[in-house]
Amino acid sequence: MAVSPVDVVIFAPLAPLFGLLLFWFIQLVFIESQKYLLSKIWDRHKPLCRFTNFLGILYQTICHALGYTVTKSGISNFYVSINYGKVVPKKEKKGIFEWMSNSFLFMGPFFIPALLLLICFFLIIGSGVDIAQSIEYTFAEGMINFGTNLYAFSEYLFSFLISIDLLHPAHLGFLILLIFLGMGIRPSYIDREERIKVDMIYDLKNIKSHIMHKPLYLILLFFIAYLFFYVSFLFQQNWYVALFSIFGWLSIIAIVSLLIAHMIILLIKTTDRMATYRKLLLYLTIPISYIFMRIVFFFFLVDFSKSVSLLIMVLSTIVVLFLMLRYKTNKLKTIAKMKQLRVEDDSKRPIRK
Amino acid sequence: MIQNDLLENEQVEKILSPHPLSFMKLQSLCLFLIIWGVLVGWLVNFSEYKDLFSSNEWFPVLAWGLVLLLVGVIASLLTIKWSIFFFYLGMFAGGLGLMLSQGWLADSGVFIPFYSVAISIIGFLIVELYRKSHKYIISNLRVIFKGGIVTKRERTLRYDKITDINAKQGILGQIFGFGTIIPISQSGFGLGSDQSFAAGGVELGTKKAGFLGLFGGGKEVQTPRARSYYELHGVHPYKEIKNLIETMVQSNVITPYQQEQVEFQKEQVDVQKQMRDLLKKQIGSKEEQEEGPES
Repeated sequence: MAVSPVDVVIFAPLAPLFGLLLFWFIQLVFIESQKYLLSKIWDRHKPLCRFTNFLGILYQTICHALGYTVTKSGISNFYVSINYGKVVPKKEKKGIFEWMSNSFLFMGPFFIPALLLLICFFLIIGSGVDIAQSIEYTFAEGMINFGTNLYAFSEYLFSFLISIDLLHPAHLGFLILLIFLGMGIRPSYIDREERIKVDMIYDLKNIKSHIMHKPLYLILLFFIAYLFFYVSFLFQQNWYVALFSIFGWLSIIAIVSLLIAHMIILLIKTTDRMATYRKLLLYLTIPISYIFMRIVFFFFLVDFSKSVSLLIMVLSTIVVLFLMLRYKTNKLKTIAKMKQLRVEDDSKRPIRK
Repeated sequence: MIQNDLLENEQVEKILSPHPLSFMKLQSLCLFLIIWGVLVGWLVNFSEYKDLFSSNEWFPVLAWGLVLLLVGVIASLLTIKWSIFFFYLGMFAGGLGLMLSQGWLADSGVFIPFYSVAISIIGFLIVELYRKSHKYIISNLRVIFKGGIVTKRERTLRYDKITDINAKQGILGQIFGFGTIIPISQSGFGLGSDQSFAAGGVELGTKKAGFLGLFGGGKEVQTPRARSYYELHGVHPYKEIKNLIETMVQSNVITPYQQEQVEFQKEQVDVQKQMRDLLKKQIGSKEEQEEGPES
């Protein structure tokens, strides 16, 4: 099939960009959902919410400081608290340098913590991911290669996660980092005490105003991206798609960490209505069931022992949670009885006795 | 118990204890022991380096001890507290002594994790006991600091004797809402100092005996610091307590206007006394005059 020069010159560089934008948007939706969940548990779990705020602000402040370092502005003051972060540069640089350091501030929290985690991941698994080779350099091929690279990485990541050895210090450390990343990966913080409305629209507005403030720099970035694509094309290398694929991997890591953080927050929210000792029993079920299964599999060798242990840990946690909700709260008892209480005209109003 | 300590017209506003996480520096020493002990156990028994460690029975002990002492030295230098190093040294020496006396050196991969966990649990309990020994009573007249596991210590500070209030809140404190308040008294109680010293030696001469010249310099910076028994250490809720203390201090401190008023009242009293004396004298002389002609 003949390759259209217009496709190669104009449309092909956009392919991984669109893919990346899609993933970035999914990440934003997850962040928004997490912020919503956190705001729901704010009153009962202030320390946890403050901790996640602190993590978010810490990442953001580090990214801002990194921006000043990259632009050689220097750092004269660095301050982080649970609801405020501040970095003061030594030299106030204007123009593209200021724009770059602000880009680090607004965009960095989405990618830089995830980049650190990606490096840890590759160090743990001890191997890289195969990158798809480009042949025709068209828009369609760019999309396919981008998708293939993301698929290959996801396969590695999920294979690792479903067989993670929680008794291995490095694996456990990676999981803790993943949870910490998921808890704090957001460009803004939640604050119920001061009733400040900070949502996805606020984040997007910030990024939009940052981009629209200096559209020339955005055009310059596009120009550099196109130039990079042409250089890759000239040398017949897959550098361009590979670079954007790495950004995609960062998004995948961030989304996975957000999912894990969601599960933890949901568990916390669900156990809120339980008594403290029952809650403790539930949380103890998680490590005890895992360690018990690992001990069993230590003596009775089977394939996929780590995955099975993980599965049993998750299942036993769900079963214990279900049992506790079933027998010690009215949460799962009401449905049948409510029907009996309805009035004859079926208006779903309970009878008042 | 507390009622016995109170003065006349004294009312207790708050009775406080440090937050369970306010002694995290001490707790983290125990936490490190557990992590490192378990890590050594994993390295010796399950990791890919287990062959290396099993090649010599001294290797796990040396690795464990070296890291322990190294961390002890670093922590001691950072916090300027050599007790941390000696704690780790004592723990290492105790563990080594036990292994040698009981012949457990070959099983150090099992002994070290269990020993570390056991010592850490004891450490956590001691820290908790130490925390519980603190008691701060804030009354309408003064702040009473009490504490001590064996030796009981007490400090009483009246609000009018407080010159400065230093308050600090770390990240953990910001998350959990606790912080430390150091009231500095007029006598300077509550102030410590950070000292740094630098010295350099120069050896002069090349052959047998050289001349050693030593040059040094030091500096001292005053900083609010007190032992946890003499400050409101890790109190919760921090902001509320800080406001309470500041309000109490403000209400007990005489403002310049009030001082002027007091001076003025003293002058008035003096004038009244002089007038009274004068009046007495006048009355006395009148009586003498009246008695004189009669006699």
